[in-house]
This record gives sequence, structure tokens and C-alpha cells, in this order.
Amino acid sequence: MPEPREGQERFVAPIDETPLRAIDAVDVDAVPENQWKEAWKRLRVSPLFWLAAAIITFIGVMIFFPTLFTSADPTRGSLDDSFAPARDGHPFGFTRQGYDLWARTVYGARASVAVGVLTAIFTALLGMITGAIAGYYGGIVDTLISRISDIFFSIPLLLACIVVISVINNTWPNRGFWGSVLVVVVALALFAWPQITRQMRGAVLEVKNLEFVDAATAIGATKMTNLRRHIVPNSLAPVIVATTITLGIFIVAESSLSFLGLGLPQNVVSWGNDLSDAQNQVRSGQHLQVMYLPAIALGMTVLGFILLGEAVREALDPKARKK
Amino acid sequence: MWWYVVKRLLQTIPVFLGATLIIFFLLKLRPGDPILNLAGNKPVSQEVRDALAAQYHLDDPLLLQWVHFVKNAVTLDFGNTFAGQPVFELIQQTFPVTVVLALMALAFDAILGIGLGTIAGLRRNGWFDSSMLVVSLILLSIPIFVVGFVMQLVFGVKLGWTTPTVGGDWNVGKLILPAIVLAIANFAYTLRLCRTSVAENLTADHVRTARAKGLPEGQVVVKHVLRNSLVPVITYIGINLGSLMAGAIITETIFNIPGVGNAAYQAIIRGETSTVVAIVTFMVMVYVFMSLIVDLLYAVLDPRIRYA
Repeated sequence: MPEPREGQERFVAPIDETPLRAIDAVDVDAVPENQWKEAWKRLRVSPLFWLAAAIITFIGVMIFFPTLFTSADPTRGSLDDSFAPARDGHPFGFTRQGYDLWARTVYGARASVAVGVLTAIFTALLGMITGAIAGYYGGIVDTLISRISDIFFSIPLLLACIVVISVINNTWPNRGFWGSVLVVVVALALFAWPQITRQMRGAVLEVKNLEFVDAATAIGATKMTNLRRHIVPNSLAPVIVATTITLGIFIVAESSLSFLGLGLPQNVVSWGNDLSDAQNQVRSGQHLQVMYLPAIALGMTVLGFILLGEAVREALDPKARKK
Repeated sequence: MWWYVVKRLLQTIPVFLGATLIIFFLLKLRPGDPILNLAGNKPVSQEVRDALAAQYHLDDPLLLQWVHFVKNAVTLDFGNTFAGQPVFELIQQTFPVTVVLALMALAFDAILGIGLGTIAGLRRNGWFDSSMLVVSLILLSIPIFVVGFVMQLVFGVKLGWTTPTVGGDWNVGKLILPAIVLAIANFAYTLRLCRTSVAENLTADHVRTARAKGLPEGQVVVKHVLRNSLVPVITYIGINLGSLMAGAIITETIFNIPGVGNAAYQAIIRGETSTVVAIVTFMVMVYVFMSLIVDLLYAVLDPRIRYA
């Protein structure tokens, strides 16, 4: 510091040393909490999260313990009961084929949610791996992955699934419960991954030039370690949000495919099939409960996942919330 | 600008080729005799067999077959349906309805999405914004065909405002309800995009300046907020014209509209895989073409894109 010129020292106010109060003390030894713990802290005070969690838990119980809700068998019906009104043990009456409507709705959760969850997992894995590689290695690998994902992205999801499932129906006609679920999952995942790839790639590009990555490289971390330990965990937030929301969208897509006769086969109990069967009731306007009950169940489930995604988005990105 | 046009055109070619390659290989995955598949699994005579093999180049190596597939697609030769009608003739008969339906849906999407989205964005977190959020979440959560059936039931059957199904002699009036149903699928996204965009622009510096110089609030909103907010919204709506045509498969089936989507559905029901694939190939071509047009229009509207 240069010496003050003559007379200048007069303008400097005297400094009062005030000690730090206890509240200002910083514990320098404490590691800052990791982002997932921080996010969880914000998540558990969010009413949106608890609403979503309640819906999803309810559906989960319905999937794993259907007998808690109904004692009827969803695959056993008698045409004598066709559209029979509600009676003891059958709270919502019967479908056209004489199945118990409530039992169909409870057991239908299994197939619909299985399709949604499995598709979301496959899509997320495929998208995360391709996106991370494209974003981290760059260059020719990036160009190749980006162009291939553009191609898959250029075909509308529903159209693509129609082609894939039409073809597979010729190849593998009778494929049981898990086979049918697998086919729908593969068809959806095959054309839905580019969305996740794009998000992952963008996030990795942002993270890979941050200081802590340089620091890790400086202390001798290899490329693989860097990617695994530092870059991927810090790029996951947008992918988790997108995956949760698309999970709901996949459940809707499965029911649309069932409506077109290309979803799960008729003998599988699923909301999509029940809704598709209910279409005959619409034009006559009679016995509409066969459409409303599965529609409400499906709508609630999808809403649960969309709300969960929104809640997680807010928790992981508090900046967006304050704006 | 021309450089951008050339670049964008060059990007479209590999996307188109790749899409046809995927569809082509999916077709080739089918088991059994390709000639029987083409003829609808009816026994065929040797002459017909030879003619079909020559027509579809079935004796060539796979890659060459794909080249022919692309050539046929580009020249709009999609083969025949099992009934012997050229698929392109079927598309020619059915496509106009689908285009009218998609354009009407686009108009509803734009008017409702932008209108309600702007109001929601201007009064962010107000009661209108919150109720729109709830409405859009509900619309996202229910399959579009359920919405379609309910609207068909309420407006077509119960209230009798319109015919429940459209049928062969269609007109614009009959298509209003189906177009609204088709628009609903995108409406929720348009609404939220417009809301966010308006809310962001409201806090922009130039808007504060406009207010500071004493411009009436209406003019501030229309001239300074809306004009800037609409660019991403309009692009989004434009790109959707292609996906609206895809969504038309479900809407056209519900309302029995004689469009290309319904033709695809009928082919699915009859198990005519080759016809389904031909129609889907055509729709993918339309979709890729529409994305190209929208991107070029976007570049005209927003100079930042073409110089980026």
C-alpha cells in the first residue's frame, strides 16, 4: 500500500474492533452437506411432495397387496353379472363381461405401473450413459451420439411404437404377462431415450469445466474416476426430474397403445385394456362407471408422478422457485 | 441466412435416411415369407410371386433393398394395401381431412394456449394461474382418448350440440369438437410455456422502461411483453403440427373421421403391417418436413438463430 499523502490520514475513520457474535461463527471443520441431503431437507417440508408420496404409496400398496382392497378375482366373471349393479363385496358393480369392476381396477395397477416404471428405468439408463459419454468425451463420439439421437427423436413416439409393436406382434404373438410388458417397454424406451440423452449431455457439458473437476484431475484422478465420482453425480438432477415426469407420460402412452389394440394383450388386466373395452359404453351413454373408475385410477397415478417430479425439481433447484 | 438454410437442409437428410433405415429394418425383422406378408398371407401363384419379388427387389442384398425403400418413399410409391389399392391413393383420399383437422387443432391450441397462458403469466401465482395449473396437470394425467370419449358423450350424445361421429361426408363444423380434443394434448404444454415466457419478460428491463415512460399497461403488455414472449411459444406450436398429425390416429378413431390416422388404425386392426408401416413412413416424412419448415421460419423471425 502506498503511504497516504499528507493530510489524507485525517479522513480515515477509526476502526472499532467488534468481536464476532456466536451466530456469525463458521465451523470450518464441518463438511458442507451434500446436495442430496440439502434437497431432502427442502423436499420434506414441501406439501406437494407429501401429496405425491401419498398417492404413489397408495398405488404401491394396491400393486403389492391387492387383496387388502378386494377379495374378488379380476379374471373370473360370469355373463349373468354383465353390468350388474353394486352389491355386497362388489362396491362398483360389474363390467360388460361380468368381471368385478373394482377388482379389475385394483389389479390393473400392476401392469400399467410396471410399464411406466420399467420404461422410465430403461430410458434413464440408456439416456444417462449415452448423454454422459457424448458430453464428456465430445468430438466425434459426441457428434455420432447426437446425430443418432436426432434420428430417433425425429419419429413421433406413438407412431414409432405402432410400427415396432405391429412388427413384434407378427414375430412373437403369444407372449404372456412379462413378455407383453417387455415389448411395450422396449418399444417406448427405444424411441424415448434421446430426450434424456440431450438433458444429460447438457448437464455434463456444464459440470465438466467446473473447478472441482480440475482439482480432481490435478490430484491424479483418471478420466473414468472423474466421470464416475464427480461429473455424473453432479449432473443427475435434471435427469431425475425428467425421468419422474416421463414415467407418468409412459403410463398414458401405454393406455393409448392399448386403445389402438397394440398395448398389452386382451388377457392382461390393465387400465389401458379396461379403458379400451369401455369405449363401447360411451356412445350408448350407459354404465359409464366402467370407464370412469380405471380412468380416475390411471389419472391419479400419473398425476402422482408428475407432482413428484415437480416437487423434486423445486427441491433440487431452489433458484427456480424463488424467481 | 442462406448458410443457415443449407446447414439445416443438410441436417435433415441424415435424419430422414436414418428414420427410413430404422423403419426398414423393423420391417425386415418380420418372420416368414416376405411375399406372403405382402399379399396378406394368401397363397400366391408363382407369377405373382415373381412379380412381387421384382417389384420390391426382394432378391437384392439388404442394403440395396433399403435404397429402393428410400427411393420409393421419396417418389411416394408405398406399395399396395391387401385389397390392391395403392397406399398412396389411400393417403391422397384421407390426408386432406387430417390436414384440416390438424390445422384447426393448431388454431385452438394457439388461441387458447396463448390467451390463457398470457393471463396466467400476467397474474402469476394468482387464483387464475393456480387454477390453470391444476387444469393443465389434469389434462396431462388423463389419456387423450378418455378426454375424447367424455367430450363426445357430453357434447355429442347428451347435449346434442354436434354429431357424435363425423363419418364419410365431413365438413369443418363437424370437425370442431375433434379438433378441440386433438388440441388438448398440446394445450397444457403451450399454456405453461406461454405463462413462463410472459412472466419472465414482465421483469425485463425494457418493460420497466416502457412503464417508466408512462405507457398504458395494455400497450406495455401487447407491444413489449407479448411480442417478445411469443417467439418460443409459436415455434413450439409450429413444431407440433407434425405431432398433431400423429395424435390424429387416436382422435380420428374416436370420432370416426375418414383421415389418414383412421386409415392407419383400420390397417392395424386388420393386421396389415405393410400398410401400417407405409402410412407411418409417410407421416414421419411429413413430420421431418414440417420441423424443417418451422426451423427455417424461426430463423426468419429471430436473427439470433441464423447467426448462431
